[in-house]
Amino acid sequence: MNTMLKILVLSLMTLGSVAVHADEWPAITKKARGQTIYFNAWGGSSRVNNYIRWAATEVKQKYGVVVKHVKITDIGDVVNRLLAEKSAHRTSGGSVDLMWINGENFKAMKKNQLLSGPFTEKLPNYRFVDTENKPTVLFDFTTPVDHMEAPWGMAQLVFMVDTARVTWHPSGMKQLLKFAKEHPGRVTYPAPPSFHGTTFIKQALLELATDRTPLYQAVALADFNRVTAPLWEFLDELRPYMWRKGKTFTHGAPEMKQLLNDGEIFISLSFNPNDASNAIANGELPDTVRTYVHESGTIGNTHFVGIPFNSNAKEGAMVFANYLMSPMAQLHKAKPSIWGDPTVLAVDKLNAKDRIMFNKLPLGIATLSPAALGKVLLEPDSSWVDALEKAWLRRYHK
Amino acid sequence: MTLVCFLSAIVIGLISTWTQAFGYMPSIGFNHFSVIHWIRLFSYPGFNSSLIATMISGIGATLLAFIFTFFLFAFSYHNQFWRLLDQALAPLLAVPHAAFAIGFLFLAAPSGWVLRLLSPGLTGFVVPPDWSLMKDAYGISLMLVMVLKEIPFLILMSLGALGRIDVRRSLAVGRSLGYETVQVWIKIILPQLYPKIRLALFAVLAYSLSVVDLALLVGPTAPPTMAVQVFRWFNDPDFEYRLLGAAGATLILLLVVSSIGLLYLLEAGVKLIFRSWLINGQRRSRFFLFSTLSNFLVLALVGVSIGVILVLLVWSFTWRWQFPDFLPATWSTQFWRNGVLQIGGPIWNTISTGITASFLAVILVIGCLENEILMLKRGLKTNTTKILWLIYLPLLIPQIAFLFGVQVTLVILRLDGIWLSLVWSHLLFVLPYVFLSLGPIYRSYDQRITDVAVTLCRSPWQAFLKVKLPMLMRPVLFSAAIGFSVSVAQYLPTLFIGAGRFDTITTEAVNLASGSDRRIVSVYALFQLLTPLMVFLSALFIPRFYFRQRKGMQI
Repeated sequence: MNTMLKILVLSLMTLGSVAVHADEWPAITKKARGQTIYFNAWGGSSRVNNYIRWAATEVKQKYGVVVKHVKITDIGDVVNRLLAEKSAHRTSGGSVDLMWINGENFKAMKKNQLLSGPFTEKLPNYRFVDTENKPTVLFDFTTPVDHMEAPWGMAQLVFMVDTARVTWHPSGMKQLLKFAKEHPGRVTYPAPPSFHGTTFIKQALLELATDRTPLYQAVALADFNRVTAPLWEFLDELRPYMWRKGKTFTHGAPEMKQLLNDGEIFISLSFNPNDASNAIANGELPDTVRTYVHESGTIGNTHFVGIPFNSNAKEGAMVFANYLMSPMAQLHKAKPSIWGDPTVLAVDKLNAKDRIMFNKLPLGIATLSPAALGKVLLEPDSSWVDALEKAWLRRYHK
Repeated sequence: MTLVCFLSAIVIGLISTWTQAFGYMPSIGFNHFSVIHWIRLFSYPGFNSSLIATMISGIGATLLAFIFTFFLFAFSYHNQFWRLLDQALAPLLAVPHAAFAIGFLFLAAPSGWVLRLLSPGLTGFVVPPDWSLMKDAYGISLMLVMVLKEIPFLILMSLGALGRIDVRRSLAVGRSLGYETVQVWIKIILPQLYPKIRLALFAVLAYSLSVVDLALLVGPTAPPTMAVQVFRWFNDPDFEYRLLGAAGATLILLLVVSSIGLLYLLEAGVKLIFRSWLINGQRRSRFFLFSTLSNFLVLALVGVSIGVILVLLVWSFTWRWQFPDFLPATWSTQFWRNGVLQIGGPIWNTISTGITASFLAVILVIGCLENEILMLKRGLKTNTTKILWLIYLPLLIPQIAFLFGVQVTLVILRLDGIWLSLVWSHLLFVLPYVFLSLGPIYRSYDQRITDVAVTLCRSPWQAFLKVKLPMLMRPVLFSAAIGFSVSVAQYLPTLFIGAGRFDTITTEAVNLASGSDRRIVSVYALFQLLTPLMVFLSALFIPRFYFRQRKGMQI
């Protein structure tokens, strides 16, 4: 109830501020022309890299902004570089103009004032964002976004299974245990604190906890041991049946996708519901792979782009962030053959032409329909992340 | 003087890291010195296992690489297998660590090529077995990869050092006294050789204890090695971990220092125990039994490297390739086509930085060595060991222990993200290698030739350019090629000093490795491997072309 109220207030504020700031836009685009921005974003996927290259060409043509994709392996590097710049009192002329972030990194940047301040209300395309039905565009892992980062894409945890190797797939964590016992050595999850690993732990906790309410409060208020006891019991029981007997873990979902293709494991996971279809089209996975979700719903969130406090080309960064939110860019991104990343926009807010285009998007061979994707579970309060990661490390780093 | 400017960066970086390790970092509100981060470090979950895996992989790799290297010299020196090794040495050195590890993984993992070859026919596996061949908890697979990669380097360093020990005559004299070849190697040559390659061995040790990219690819995961752990802490969005990272980085440095001490102790112990054995006059032994093993080792080393290149080639042309098929089901040239289109920028950054850094390094090293000769003529003695230690310093101090500190300093001076800073940071690591590979040969040049040349053409410059340099062209170019391959392989400096703005083949390859698409990763690993290889080949062929009409200069 409380959250809904906050969302309502924030949406109202958004509407108000759009009206106030809309006239600033022409000045911003004018100033942006000729600027070069350094966009720091994970560079591990060639299809994401290709998409960024496409978007960069578009803004170059339309707005005269040059976008340079600084490819990184871990956005934490960049947060750290910004910290180094802050400690050197470099308040302008920073090395980063725009960065791809969410979750803990956003929280850390917000807490340490490494962000340039609210800006999304100045972007014309922000009004198309689905702030009503997609609460995660306003609360990034429960941290209020406060207009300090622009929504870029939606994510929901899904699982992938190779139907050529097995006859059934689990519909929940308890069933996953049964599956692992039936196929010893063929189930694993990435080690926390990697992004996908922590998500898997949170998903398991949400499914197994007898009472979810404490998970949406600060962890300090809850009896951590009592709430998480079913989780550890589950993970302990799973461990001996895991890939490499649970002594070696993977780094993340991309590595698991490769293992799924090899047949080393039978179940993989992803934050992109279109990942399997995309990987099949791309030759990375066999066409017998299918996507599924757990019956109780799966964790969903949003990924964003944010502007650092000392960006050298804030206007150019805003123009690019705005373009990434445009119906055209979002549509192109949602195509399974391009990237398959779900849109942050509310399709019913768009004009008729764009709406039809979105509705005509093909559903990939291994993609679930929106109805089949089921319920989206909200991330637990972000204070749980650190506590869960530490508890996991204490148990399984031996 | 060049040295001072050079090393100041390391000192500044170290001091910055140390103060952070003791909890001092005002920019994030830590104003008081404390040991709390050390306590946190020692009580961190999995600290002990992490330390053990680090020591097994680091110290184990160094000792094994040294033993195997000596083994190869003692048993296979100048036999027909040695010729194979000699020819393979340059390509072996040129293969960057990351590319080698990626290929090795594709070869030796349970779903790798070796098992694909044997399955399902011999093994009956239709899915890969659940064996912990790679990324094992003790870091043994990591150790193995490093051993394979460090042997060629130690061979190169030993070859340089052996130039100053008269091996041929030692062997002849030893044999005429009735000693077996192996006995001569152990009893006469090893005691002379070891002090000369001691520093190189320490560099291997420091590298193996602190390597990040290799450990990410083939190292243990729960917990990872110390270096990976520290790297993660430095990158954690929660800034408090940075202080923990600084403490961990300092611990790695201490680990390197104490391991070097350990090697010294080991050396002293071995001397003490084997002294009487060395001079007992016994001429025969059963050592010759090992000679087949040694020859096999040569074949394995060359074989694995060829396998690595082949498996990368096959994956780079793959579209679909599932276990247990021996070859891909569908082939594709798409990844090469895309790769060639997109590699332009990174290749240019790699080549321009590498050529500049190795060129500068060669000039500086020749300058240093000429200065040495000049001083010698004036009767001044230079303390070569001291200089050697200073030049070696960047190789003995783990990158992770000072690069983060250097980054902060450069940011303050607004010198980060500039190409010249990048070149300078590469030079830090290129220079020692160039010095190491060029120094011994350069010093063994007969200075009297130049003296004669000066009397003939009157100008020392002319004598240097027209006589000495062409005569030394081969080693000069070869050392430049080594410098270039060192520059190509730099990952952390490129990332931190270049502010991520200069993507090189290596940063691209490591980035894409995090995406785990073997086909694209293979294309980039091959690019990463081919670039230094081309430079090595030109270093071999330019002199051959240049000297095509001078019989005395041909090999």
